[in-house]
Amino acid sequence: MKNRPAGSGLALVGVGSMLTSMIAAGFLLGYGLDSWLDSRPAFMVLFGGLGLVGGFLKVYKLLSRD
Amino acid sequence: MSAKESSSGSSTVEYIQHHLTNLCAGDCDPVTHKAASFWAWHLDTLFFSFVLGALIVAVSWRLSRRLTAGVPGGFQNFAESLVEFVSTQVKDTFPGYNPLIAPMALTIFLWVWLMNFMDLIPVDLLPVIASFFGIQYLKVVPTTDLSTTFALSLTVFALIIYYNIKVKGVLGYLKMFLFHPFGKYLVPVNIVMTLIEELAKPLSLALRLFGNLFAGELVFLLIALIGGTMAVGLAALFWLPLQVLLDLGWLIFHLLIITLQAFIFMVLTIVYLGMAHTTEH
Repeated sequence: MKNRPAGSGLALVGVGSMLTSMIAAGFLLGYGLDSWLDSRPAFMVLFGGLGLVGGFLKVYKLLSRD
Repeated sequence: MSAKESSSGSSTVEYIQHHLTNLCAGDCDPVTHKAASFWAWHLDTLFFSFVLGALIVAVSWRLSRRLTAGVPGGFQNFAESLVEFVSTQVKDTFPGYNPLIAPMALTIFLWVWLMNFMDLIPVDLLPVIASFFGIQYLKVVPTTDLSTTFALSLTVFALIIYYNIKVKGVLGYLKMFLFHPFGKYLVPVNIVMTLIEELAKPLSLALRLFGNLFAGELVFLLIALIGGTMAVGLAALFWLPLQVLLDLGWLIFHLLIITLQAFIFMVLTIVYLGMAHTTEH
């Protein structure tokens, strides 16, 4: 705990919901872009997928940092 | 209790839905009493969160006038240990120094905890009292309303953006969007990815708090229904003690949850603002 950079230990508190909310945020962003460009469901799916990948990456990064 | 008057299934649903409906003013749906557009006010949420906020201000103002440097009284002791606890968290988690962070963290912790605590008041007590005054709908726990949790998390989000720009400059902040997860060859993907990541912060803060408290409230309602709908005649001798036992158990467990959720909200606020203050991501 002492050797870690400040904040990394307690940031783990939010790991569980980080993955879900990344997917949700991707969908929301895609939904917004879709209703702007009138292209549903293209960006919703694309950004949702990106959110999933990003969420996995983020969680992996948070958990493997020591 | 409204549940006691009925025993059929549809009124059970009605009972739960009634308890989960806010007292809405402004642009509301006349049938469902849900907000119909952005310009609808949840009066009960506003009232209870304001009262609890005022309570914090009043108690700390009163305490500040009675502070002694000598042997502190019981309440000052308690307040001191609380301030100490929060400032330790900030010192451990927050890089650098910012005089705003610790007071804000303490405010978030106390306010969210108090709003969560409304969950432990018997579910029918305040709505029944309100119904004497002609108020039909009353949802007493402000944090079971998405408006409250999103108001809190979006305020934190605004602060995150503000400190990002203040510390890194506008250009430095925008640069963070360009090269962050995949290096310089996938700039469009990086922009979307970082946008999603930033957007996920307020989303996860708000939804986590809302979800936990909403679920907790729902369990309290279901427990209240045990005694309410099933206790007819002698059966009450069996069902009512069960309700009391379950209520007590869930109350003790929920006390842990509300404290944990308030703590998590506080800690993640500090962590996110700490990330905004550091240049490496």
